[in-house]
Amino acid sequence: MDLQVIARNLEFMAGGLVVTFEITAVALAGGLLWGILLGLGRLSRIPWIYHPVTVYVHFFRSQPLILVIFWFYFLVPVMIGKPLGAFVSTLIAFVAFEAAYFAEIVRGGVQSVSGGQAAAGYSCGLRYHQVQLYIILPQALRNMLPALTTQAVVIFQDTSLAYVIGLREFLRRVNLVDTREARSIELYLFAGTVYLVLCSLGSAAARRLERRREVGLS
Amino acid sequence: MLHYDFDWSVLWRHPYGKMLLQGVWTTVHLSLLAWAIALPVGVAIALCRIMPCRPARLVGGAYVETLRNIPLLVQLFFWYFAVPSLLPGKTERWLYANVRDLSYVLGVLALGTYTAARVAEAVRSGLLAVPAGQFRAALSTGLSPAGTYRHVILPYALRVVIPLLSTEFLTCFKNSSLAMTIGVMETTGMANYIDSFTFHGLETTTAASLVYLLTSLSVIVLMSRIESKMRIPGMIARER
Amino acid sequence: MIEIRNLSLWYRKDHKVIDDVSARIPKGRAVVICGPSGSGKSSLLRCINGLERFQEGEIIIDGQSLRSRETDIHKVRAKIGMVFQHFELYPHMTVLDNITLAPRKVLNQSEKDAENKAMQLLTRVGIPDKASRYPGELSGGQQQRVAIARSLAMEPKAMLFDEPTSALDPEMIKEVLEVMIDLAKSGMTMVVVTHEMGFAREVADEVAFMDHGRFVERKPAGAFFECTENPRTREFLSRILK
Repeated sequence: MDLQVIARNLEFMAGGLVVTFEITAVALAGGLLWGILLGLGRLSRIPWIYHPVTVYVHFFRSQPLILVIFWFYFLVPVMIGKPLGAFVSTLIAFVAFEAAYFAEIVRGGVQSVSGGQAAAGYSCGLRYHQVQLYIILPQALRNMLPALTTQAVVIFQDTSLAYVIGLREFLRRVNLVDTREARSIELYLFAGTVYLVLCSLGSAAARRLERRREVGLS
Repeated sequence: MLHYDFDWSVLWRHPYGKMLLQGVWTTVHLSLLAWAIALPVGVAIALCRIMPCRPARLVGGAYVETLRNIPLLVQLFFWYFAVPSLLPGKTERWLYANVRDLSYVLGVLALGTYTAARVAEAVRSGLLAVPAGQFRAALSTGLSPAGTYRHVILPYALRVVIPLLSTEFLTCFKNSSLAMTIGVMETTGMANYIDSFTFHGLETTTAASLVYLLTSLSVIVLMSRIESKMRIPGMIARER
Repeated sequence: MIEIRNLSLWYRKDHKVIDDVSARIPKGRAVVICGPSGSGKSSLLRCINGLERFQEGEIIIDGQSLRSRETDIHKVRAKIGMVFQHFELYPHMTVLDNITLAPRKVLNQSEKDAENKAMQLLTRVGIPDKASRYPGELSGGQQQRVAIARSLAMEPKAMLFDEPTSALDPEMIKEVLEVMIDLAKSGMTMVVVTHEMGFAREVADEVAFMDHGRFVERKPAGAFFECTENPRTREFLSRILK
């Protein structure tokens, strides 16, 4: 076991971790915002909002992320007439994809808020966007926090898939080091350990949030 | 606006049409084999986690936590790049010489063990969903523990677990696409491969998308049929 | 002020929740509606402020028909306050913020003006000291009084009450009824769905008994309790008046 190989290449691989965190942050923020709109759309009674949104959510949830990443890598340049580069097309792919999952989380969160809350808001003359913004979503997001944290951990792991279009995130860099040094066991154990530690922390945080929420409810 | 000339015939033209179908077939049997591993292993792990024996619970918990917190792609690479070199030299050489499609086998093992962890979680949710009092109530009427499981716990738990398992199977089916990174020519990999020859990646990825979409819809429709047969009024609270 | 003409509401063709109901509630009147659960009383209230969409009939509020395209339902709702059985205070906001939210966002009042008005209302309902507390820290009776203050902050022309005391412990019912009595005596137009017959006797101008979506009997308050004509009404009254 040559652990030195990790130490020698740590800076290079750590740089990949930065890219991973960047993608995660953007996917989380963008996916959540777009997911909130989609989630509200899933609850809409207006047909020309409900149906397209439902089709979108079901479509993206049926696809493997790898394929979606390829799609955006091919599709976006064709649509705008110029190549976009791995990083940007990955970000777009992630936001579009993860939003479908956030949509269902948001839908559950909004439904968990008592119907009377919206009625109370409307009864004072507040409009739809005001009721959602000031009354429903603040409560829904609090309820959704455990599920959102879990999804963030999922996104963090999903970033490794950007490997397929050559994006130099963490896993790709570990792989590059491996092709050079041929120390697969050490390197992939290292990669696994890093993910294990970071994601376990995230999952533990999600469990803590879930328990705190249950205590608050009782 | 679209600077691309579509050529949909690439989907059925020889040899690409046949290659695409082979890719789909590979996805199907890869997923099924992985599922065949995942189901029994997953159930076993779930049972370990609820047994009164503490070491079993710890082992089961460790398995699930480890495999769920490491991305599948990393696990796949570990199986492909690292595992063969962990084996004794003779075995390793034998593997490379005699196993025709080593990537495929390792892909199945990686996907199977990973999915097992997810199945374990789904099954555990099902078992935990049964209200605690049910077991005591059944025992107090004279049923043996085995009988209690068979007649009271399992029917209830299955109604929660089976929908969750269908979701996990679909996830397994989608995750089979990762095997393309180690050279397995399944649907997505084949779509990409054909693109490298023809530069018509848009058509091939559309076809691949349709494959996954249709599979997902079929499973969902099948599941809703099964669920309506299994449904017991008022049992699991459903939204109005 | 509020006029209901031949109102009908149903979710399934064979079961009408509200069946051809008509009523006129002039300004300053306090009307109590009672009846068994499922009789359509709550749905009727929800139709009046547009929370529920009805299939047949008309509702005219202050001359504006709810069916007409020109009517802005949000403006109508701002003119009619509603108090709910389960209070429905926003748990993530303080009492003060609960009351000032709508005045600030709908009436565009400044924060200072809204807060001053809110403090006045809190004093009127008897709990000015709870302004910076959260709903979770208040008792049921206090929460309901805040809910009344929240509706009053919009200076409504009429108030709807949907079983305001049904979810309260008995000791707290009185404090809420006192606020409602005070409101009725000050001339507020009120439609109250309740089982509290004591309230009805004291301030109601008219009492209606609703069953299976219809007004079975409607009379001025005194007459309602002294000489009930309909056997169903009598049966219902005998069950709730001990």
